[in-house]
Amino acid sequence: MTQERDFAAFIDDRPEEGIFRVDRSVYNDPAVLEAEYQTIFEGGWIFLCHETHIPNPGDYFTTWLGRQPVFVVRGADGSVNGFLNACGHRGAMLLTYRVGNAKTFDCPYHGFCFNDKGDCISVRSKRTGWPDEFDIGRFDLAPIARIDSYRGLIFGSLAPDVPELRDYLGAATALLDIFVAPVPQPLEIVPGYCVYVSNCNWKVMHENGPDAYHAPVVHRNFADTIAFRESRGSFEGVNKTERGRLTARIESASYDLGNGHTAFWNERTTPEAYPIYAHRDELAKRFSPGQLDWILGRGRHMTIFPNLLLNDLASSHLRTYRPLSVDRTETIIWCIAPVGEPAEMRAARLRKFEDFFLPSGMATPDDIAIVEAAQRASWALESRWTDMGRGSDPAFRIDGPDQAARELGFTPKVSSTSWDHEITLQGVYRHWLSRITRNGEARHG
Amino acid sequence: MADLALQAEVSELLFREARLLDAQRWTDWLELYCEDAVFWVPAFTMAGGYTEQPEQELNFIYMAGRSGLEERVFRLNTGISLSSTPLPRTRHMVGMVMVDGQNGDAVQAFANCQVATFTEIRGQQFRTSSYEYLLRRSGGGLRIAQKKVLLLEAVIDGYFDFYAI
Repeated sequence: MTQERDFAAFIDDRPEEGIFRVDRSVYNDPAVLEAEYQTIFEGGWIFLCHETHIPNPGDYFTTWLGRQPVFVVRGADGSVNGFLNACGHRGAMLLTYRVGNAKTFDCPYHGFCFNDKGDCISVRSKRTGWPDEFDIGRFDLAPIARIDSYRGLIFGSLAPDVPELRDYLGAATALLDIFVAPVPQPLEIVPGYCVYVSNCNWKVMHENGPDAYHAPVVHRNFADTIAFRESRGSFEGVNKTERGRLTARIESASYDLGNGHTAFWNERTTPEAYPIYAHRDELAKRFSPGQLDWILGRGRHMTIFPNLLLNDLASSHLRTYRPLSVDRTETIIWCIAPVGEPAEMRAARLRKFEDFFLPSGMATPDDIAIVEAAQRASWALESRWTDMGRGSDPAFRIDGPDQAARELGFTPKVSSTSWDHEITLQGVYRHWLSRITRNGEARHG
Repeated sequence: MADLALQAEVSELLFREARLLDAQRWTDWLELYCEDAVFWVPAFTMAGGYTEQPEQELNFIYMAGRSGLEERVFRLNTGISLSSTPLPRTRHMVGMVMVDGQNGDAVQAFANCQVATFTEIRGQQFRTSSYEYLLRRSGGGLRIAQKKVLLLEAVIDGYFDFYAI
């Protein structure tokens, strides 16, 4: 049962004074999670999977929208359909593998059978116990109310009354258009993936992505280790792991993209280490110098509220989050790369990915350790506020696009002069509040 | 007829590696590895298997050359890696050691391993793996040319490094 909470009191947002603070109980109050399940994870657009997870008819991908098990299936006609992963008869889970291929879906409990449109197409022992004429359509699978995709990223919503996906993504679309490789180059999920569970609230994990402020502190040991590597041998060209952003002051910016989406970039100090750099001559014919700066010259990072992270820094990946409980969060991570990438580029991309990310890398374990430490200390309720005020001062923020955003052609709510300011987190929590209080900002853009 | 002398030699090497890891004697542990040794922990595929082509597919860890392991040891010793400071205590339990083949100086071996890890924060955790070794005889003794670690656990609770699997 949800206890009444004054959610608005959880956010201390006084822009004119440069104050932005979040009450730490948002990380450990079960009533907050219950409201988040209802209004966010089961009430709006959620990232599900990538198109290349289900390339062929009958390919399916099982996942969750909040607490609710769902699956996405590629229909015989090539369409993408999604359903609750629960038999229409007695509700047993239909599909138990993460991915697979099937012409029809047979319930393992009583043998009811469904097609790729969710229609119940056969009932076991139909001639006995049931009326002579009855409509087995009553067992049809419940559909995910809305399914749509953008640049191969498939999203679903259990709530039907949501804006069009493109409108929800808004300013983020321009950045998705150049994620890893500029269109029309297609992307694919590199085989292999990783699931890990961390002892923290999903928002602590979500904050850690846009939060670049922590990187030179938490990951200094990573930068030191890469420096040690380079002092002993050659890791040049595409094999070089860029560490400039962790050790030096470089040009950068960050954006509150609206609807809780965020982005930041920083100048690549060694652009030749970026696999796409080999295609610079071809790209220069298709893009303006300003666009080319974005594609080749800037490491990029984005989050789509509430559960997708896209990272195109030293390597490239997708990450998605799901709250398991108020202090347990599941993360799934995939490396993503251009289709047909030359073998040496692919290998370099993978090695750099494994260097840093995954719970077995040389940086992500430190992220997990610090977000778990933040979770444990969220019970320090006598020091109530988590401060996210950095970058609020008018000297560092621009309402609307900065010069770089204009060059790529997107209009953020707020631009900041540095990648490590906290205006991104302010955008996340302003949107979070609008959703959890159902005041409608999300539904109407 | 099993080569009992080889079986004993391989077992001793695997037990020694585990003991050195538990003792955090990194320099001595690295000595067990050939200069060009591969340390490989495949990732899982979404279909439930392990990845098999490290140049084309994702891995938890793939390092060709002992220098990669030396870098990981360097990182532990920085003292500023939160996940490794203080270092978790570990106890490896290596069992079911089997010699799978021998060809000239090369020996293939298999073992199962369970590692108990303890930290104040996470308490005691267990990770279970199979080891597939390629060993190479040089200068009389056997050294590790490749260690492939196949994790049992497909959903990772927390995090791990080479010393805890």
